[in-house]
Amino acid sequence: MPYSGMAMQLARIVETVGNADELAAAMAAISVQLGFQYFALSHHVDVATAGDAAIRLHNYPRRWADYYDQNALGVSDPVHRASHVTSIGFPWSQMAAMIPLTPGDLRILALGRAQGIGDGFTVPAHVPGEARGSCSFASEAGRPLPQAMLPLAQLAGNFAFEAARRLWTGRGGLLPRPGPALTDRQRDCVLWVARGKGDWEISRILGISEETVARHIKQACERYGVNKRTLLVIRTLFDGTLTFSDIFRRRYAPFRA
Amino acid sequence: MLHILQSAPPSASDAALRAMFAARKSVFVDLLKWDVPVLEGRYEVDQFDDLNAIYLILAEPDGAHLGSVRLLPTMRPHILDSLYPGLCEDVLPRAPDIFEITRFCLDRRLRAAERRAVRDTLVTALVDHALDHGITGYSAIAEMGWFQQILAFGWRCRPLGLPQVVDGAMLAALRIDIAPDTPGLLAAAGIQAAPAIRDSRRIAA
Repeated sequence: MPYSGMAMQLARIVETVGNADELAAAMAAISVQLGFQYFALSHHVDVATAGDAAIRLHNYPRRWADYYDQNALGVSDPVHRASHVTSIGFPWSQMAAMIPLTPGDLRILALGRAQGIGDGFTVPAHVPGEARGSCSFASEAGRPLPQAMLPLAQLAGNFAFEAARRLWTGRGGLLPRPGPALTDRQRDCVLWVARGKGDWEISRILGISEETVARHIKQACERYGVNKRTLLVIRTLFDGTLTFSDIFRRRYAPFRA
Repeated sequence: MLHILQSAPPSASDAALRAMFAARKSVFVDLLKWDVPVLEGRYEVDQFDDLNAIYLILAEPDGAHLGSVRLLPTMRPHILDSLYPGLCEDVLPRAPDIFEITRFCLDRRLRAAERRAVRDTLVTALVDHALDHGITGYSAIAEMGWFQQILAFGWRCRPLGLPQVVDGAMLAALRIDIAPDTPGLLAAAGIQAAPAIRDSRRIAA
């Protein structure tokens, strides 16, 4: 397929598609042009609980989609998890080299195949401050991936996700909600919690009393409306108050002079 | 504070410029491991940092670097035509009113919320600069993770070619159209300048 025709088509989709049905029709056509049969655009959340706020658009067989929703696979889908460890598209056959696959994951993939979904290609889509998402293209079981088309599929995935994002933003689903801000000291304490330290250890590291550490963490929990430190760590990682590199990179000094 | 500077780096005495070259070394060499030249062990400066380059620099009042970007005129040698022409399958964008966005750099000291405010302010500064100077388009090369963010800024973008893996990173070239309605598109996408970051403007030549 001539590249430039596709490029204009992708840009046009972002700028002109007016509703989810039009986007679904455009994506179904693009999937076929790329040599695939199915597409799926999604935010990686449990669609049953997130409702309309989360992007979800696909043309998978209905039976498979229903099974997927009933089992809340949106949050544990190995394809979604693998897309969180890379910024570029990957064939599903490479997943085992990207993330640990549990027996349950292998079962999901086998079930998908039984429903006619073969190999696929997933483009991660991460916009900071928003739920992670992806655009997948899949082939019918038994058909090979259209290797030569994967670079175009990469671009198509990026643009399609943005098109979906704009539609859903229009519905008010993705408007950034500013999260609670922690004080620097609260953040320092949460960082050390994330690194596995207890209150006493944190008090020695930061040179403050154990009671003060406990109070900082309790107040940080209150700001996020959570009652467990594990949840606090997860929420601060999700909204960017902490990053994985903060936690793992010890040479980073959280308290600059 | 937004500084718009055009200057040759070796003779530059400006604190904002020096801080920018140091921040670029910290981000592109130390963090991202790009194979680009480093001057005096502290400054990332390449062959395109010459009198033709224009810099938009967001700095604190004392000159401390927050974020910066380099604009290269496409009528002269720039990164897409000189280093990665293979990323462009269309005709190379080359016109007096098209500039290439390069070295978009957010300071490593920034935390997530500040980083985002600086990023958004820099993006709006790019659009304002274009509208003030008759620039109708930008070209850029982006790594794929960043590409998705660029699309999400709300401005009109289109790819210039297929993404390719270059030295282990997947890169794609794109073109951004700038028109009088672009500020509105950014605003609709939630991209706004933070007044505290951009409280005054200084233009030096």
